[in-house]
Amino acid sequence: MFEARITQGAVLKKLVEALKELVTEGNFDVSSTGLQLQAMDSSHVCLVSLALREDGFEHFRCDRNMAMGIHFQNLSKILKCAGNEDTITLKAEDNADQLTLMFESSNQDRISDFDLKLMSIESEHLGIPDQEYSAEIKMPSSEYQRIVRDLTSIGDTVLISATKEGIKFSTSGDVGTANVTLRHNTTPEKPEEQTIIDLKEPVALTFALRYLNNFAKATPLAPVVKLSLTKDLPIVVEYQIGELGAVKFYLAPKIDDEDQMGEDEAQS
Amino acid sequence: MKQKSIGAFFGGAGTKAGAKQEAVKDAKPAKPESKPKTKPEPADPASDQDNEADAASRPARKRLRRAVIEDDDDAALAVASKPAAAETAAPQQPTAAESELEDKDATMTDAPAATTKGAAAAPTAAAGTPAKSAAPAEEPKADGGGPGTASKPAAPIASIFQRPAVRKAAAAAAAGGSPAPGNAKKSGGGAGAAASPLKASASPAKAGKGAAPAGAATSTRDAAGGEEGKAAAAAASPASKKDKTKARAPKVEKAGEDGEEGEEAEGSEADPISDSDDDAGGDVNELLPEGAVGGGSGKKAKAKKAAGRIKSGKGAQMEGVGTGALAAASKYKEQDISAVISWKEGQPVPYSLLANTFEAIAGTTKRLEIVALLVSAFRAILATNPPDLLPAVYLCVNRVAPAHTGIELGIGEATLIKAMCEATGKNEASIKKSYEEHGDLGVVVVGARSTQRTMFAPPPLTIASVLKAFQNIAQTTGTKSGDQKRGMIVKLLVAAKGNEPGYIVRSLQAKLRIGLAEQSVLVALSHAVHLHRGGPAALKQPDVKLAEALEAGAQVVKQAYSECPSYDVLVPALLEHGSTDLLSRCHFMPGVPVKPMLAKATNGVGEVLEKFTDIEFTVEYKYDGERAQVHVLDGGKTVHIFSRNAENNTPKYPDIVSRIKGLLKPEVDSIVFDAEAVAYDPEKKKILPFQVLSTRARKDVAVDDIKVQVVLFAFDCLYLNGQSLLHKPLTERRAALYGSLTEKEGELLYASYKTSRDVEELESFLNESVEAGTEGLIVKTLGDTYEPSKRSSHWLKLKKDYMEGVGDTFDVVPVGAFFGKGKRTGVFGAYLLAVYDPDTETYQTISKLGTGFSEEQLSQLAEAMRPHTIPQPRHYYTWDESLVPDVWFDAAVVWEVKAADLSISPRHKAALGLVDPTKGISIRFPRLIRVRDDKSPEDATSAAQVADMFRNQAVIRQQKAQDNQAGDEGEDE
Repeated sequence: MFEARITQGAVLKKLVEALKELVTEGNFDVSSTGLQLQAMDSSHVCLVSLALREDGFEHFRCDRNMAMGIHFQNLSKILKCAGNEDTITLKAEDNADQLTLMFESSNQDRISDFDLKLMSIESEHLGIPDQEYSAEIKMPSSEYQRIVRDLTSIGDTVLISATKEGIKFSTSGDVGTANVTLRHNTTPEKPEEQTIIDLKEPVALTFALRYLNNFAKATPLAPVVKLSLTKDLPIVVEYQIGELGAVKFYLAPKIDDEDQMGEDEAQS
Repeated sequence: MKQKSIGAFFGGAGTKAGAKQEAVKDAKPAKPESKPKTKPEPADPASDQDNEADAASRPARKRLRRAVIEDDDDAALAVASKPAAAETAAPQQPTAAESELEDKDATMTDAPAATTKGAAAAPTAAAGTPAKSAAPAEEPKADGGGPGTASKPAAPIASIFQRPAVRKAAAAAAAGGSPAPGNAKKSGGGAGAAASPLKASASPAKAGKGAAPAGAATSTRDAAGGEEGKAAAAAASPASKKDKTKARAPKVEKAGEDGEEGEEAEGSEADPISDSDDDAGGDVNELLPEGAVGGGSGKKAKAKKAAGRIKSGKGAQMEGVGTGALAAASKYKEQDISAVISWKEGQPVPYSLLANTFEAIAGTTKRLEIVALLVSAFRAILATNPPDLLPAVYLCVNRVAPAHTGIELGIGEATLIKAMCEATGKNEASIKKSYEEHGDLGVVVVGARSTQRTMFAPPPLTIASVLKAFQNIAQTTGTKSGDQKRGMIVKLLVAAKGNEPGYIVRSLQAKLRIGLAEQSVLVALSHAVHLHRGGPAALKQPDVKLAEALEAGAQVVKQAYSECPSYDVLVPALLEHGSTDLLSRCHFMPGVPVKPMLAKATNGVGEVLEKFTDIEFTVEYKYDGERAQVHVLDGGKTVHIFSRNAENNTPKYPDIVSRIKGLLKPEVDSIVFDAEAVAYDPEKKKILPFQVLSTRARKDVAVDDIKVQVVLFAFDCLYLNGQSLLHKPLTERRAALYGSLTEKEGELLYASYKTSRDVEELESFLNESVEAGTEGLIVKTLGDTYEPSKRSSHWLKLKKDYMEGVGDTFDVVPVGAFFGKGKRTGVFGAYLLAVYDPDTETYQTISKLGTGFSEEQLSQLAEAMRPHTIPQPRHYYTWDESLVPDVWFDAAVVWEVKAADLSISPRHKAALGLVDPTKGISIRFPRLIRVRDDKSPEDATSAAQVADMFRNQAVIRQQKAQDNQAGDEGEDE
């Protein structure tokens, strides 16, 4: 028996909206410690890792560990039926083939429930090691969203370089080129408006903007986003969802442009 | 380029690492010694010391490339040269020189010879390799071998995420291709193999002209019936098969003379059994009706007969297949299937096995070799995981389900390009650019990989998983199906490594195009299953015996497949019970259509009478409509209608379906009859031409909306009340037909027929048929069985066109066009036409078509053809440099054209090698008759048919000339 109740249903709604474009399906792994999800997009370029802590829920119960195969587009369809103020309860029997979602409006005058058919998804659990990163940048999530959105309209890939000067996002495309630099800035009083760059060594990596832009769909979940970069490792884009947990997006870097061109030549 | 990587590259770092290793070794001839050591083959050390040329030549080849099996021909060649090499190395080399080997090939040939002296050859051989691996740069596989692509070592992939995590996961993730030395070796081998077949095919073929026959003769004498001699002779003949007919004939004669108490004779004796995939097959069966499988007498005579036939130009290929069986038998004995098995017993077989096999097959044109390659792969599957054989067979024939289910691949280019972008991280523009450059998405996708790293390498593709994915893709329908399909394709592409994505993309397009004919797959299937079921004992049999068993088995399997064209039935039955009584388990059944029996073209009544001198025959109207094989079950409750391609046409003819029940005689429960559906005008009670029928809607036709009425002309009955009639003579089938259906005006009629031997009567019947609006007549022998999917000589067609010169019209595929000038500006002024050669899977140009169009027609055709424009000719087109069209078309449509006559042409390539070794056949003064919507490009007139027509024409002309001469003489007197 699994049951989890969350008062701000909106969080769950936003979460699924953020994921559904990226991954079509994945397993909700529930255990007594909480709910976890690990899924890759179909081209295995990025990975979503979601961890919701048991104590972040208003009520959480899980008798047996289980994996519930979710089709995110379908889950999204159901969650669209929930009001933003609704309390959402997730329920499933052991070995069930469906997940029940119950929505209660804030003043208890409307209760609706939906059953979502579960899928059987093969997935091995992929171990992601904790990593020392060369550069960690915390910035307002809205700022991140704006940068990647702006750059996406110019080019396909972005070079993110973290130096002592700050963090620079550059792209180029048919239109021209674009560079956005953020400096370390702790002047704003609210911590969520600060930009904090923690640099161990300079690093520069290229990524597909399409994915970074997709990650920004999680902006409503958290005011701050943390980017972690290490040479030749995936970038981590992390959103802390209050006390509930966190969603981390990993994106494998592209091969540098020069290399790419050299390779193209070699191949052709 | 950066070497460190975290994620796996799309390109499958493992494969590339393998390729690199290969490249590195190629580049450093100093190192070749290390290679054999890293790949210990138990046989090597022993054979190194062995004095046998055969064995000694092998290590040398190992260094050249990792030999799988495709180079067994080389081995045979080496054997052939053995006596010479052993006695004196010198005479052999001049021979090689004589045969005009190119430098690199010369190096090759030298190598085995030199190895007998010492290890000195190794560096030479190795030095020769880079050139070769660079040579096939255009082939998709080249990217694996090309030095430029090589790069990231496999290990770092694992090092990032997997290492701290579960080791096992790392291994699993990377398993299919990479980190383990064994696997890396394998992928390297793939790259090597990629380069090799070209060489392999180049050198024996060349040598075949000069050196091989000589060598064969020598060795036959020297070895006096020993194994080597046989293998050499056998191997030499397929090589020369590709050469002139001339070269072939004398050799067989020689072999016949040399005698060997019938080893060669045995080979040619096997011919009649083996030739069924050849159109001329029927003839031969008639020629050698008795004792074909029988004992020792008359072997020589037969060998001579075979030689004679070869001279006459027919049966050209049979000789090869017959001796081929022997060569195959000895080849199989040498096959070491454990060498290709890189997976554990009982585990799903990786797709890489097939991809590598395809790669090797694409590099050769020799059918014998193709079959051997396939047999090796099938045996490997059977040895480890037999249930994977069925999916493997489907992948080899590039289908996902039996034809009549209508489940087909054929993904559009746009979808594939999008999926490729998503999978590779490249943008659409660069993919398209590369496509314009290469003209083959398969090549593009192999080259386009690796601009984006992945998080975790997906598990390697297996044969079963690929087919399953293909089936899912083919069956996805409805809204958003495009996106879903693309998602599934991306998944496949991401998991594909090395050369795999190329074959996946081509398979998805339903254009595998590696020169793998279905008949070859059937032969390989039967051989592999035979060897598997027979176990080691089968391999210990003498060659002759094994060859006989293999031939017989192949025959049965082909027959079974033609009667029951469903691998879902065939493969399990074959696996479980073998080929012995396969026909009783795998037979014609209602619901599974057979491909219809087809008729051969003739030039006139005279030819018919000549061909059927002592045979009873009947003539029928040849209605101008669409072939319909009507399957009726449960007394008319279930009706299926299948087209000539075994496509389900039931939804197209709801009117026929609804009327069938009323036409059945009461005692009929189930029946399958062959008929022609013809457009019909119920008011005038007249049949209408095909063009009217083709205006009928194809899908989801509602009975009320039908504007074009159709009448069925039934002419054959294949099945009645639970009983297959395929093996019954036509008289009996016809009686069954007439006894089970009721004729009804405007709904179902029997085809008009006449039984007569009188020339005038036949001529007038032909004229009647033409007046009645049909295409002419079909002449059928009364005593013969129904031969599914065969263009049989028991049925001949006699078309009205024959009076105008050529016996038949041609179904050709426009593959290119020339811009119009003057009045024709803005449309295409002329088209380049091609016929299809199913043996080589190529389209060969046959003519330019530029006259006889109305202006309206010109613009219609241009409109219709423009969407098929492609930037580059397909690699499976054969054309002449002197006749390059302004635009190329994808092979997509079929036109029926009429022509004045056929002639040998240096500028056209149809039937290249079948009649003239270097020139093709062209048709003269072609005129477009109509667009054949009911035919797919693969159904176009085949190269063999063109060759047949050409020969017929020659014969007829000769006769006419003789007649005229006789007439003249008569007048003179």
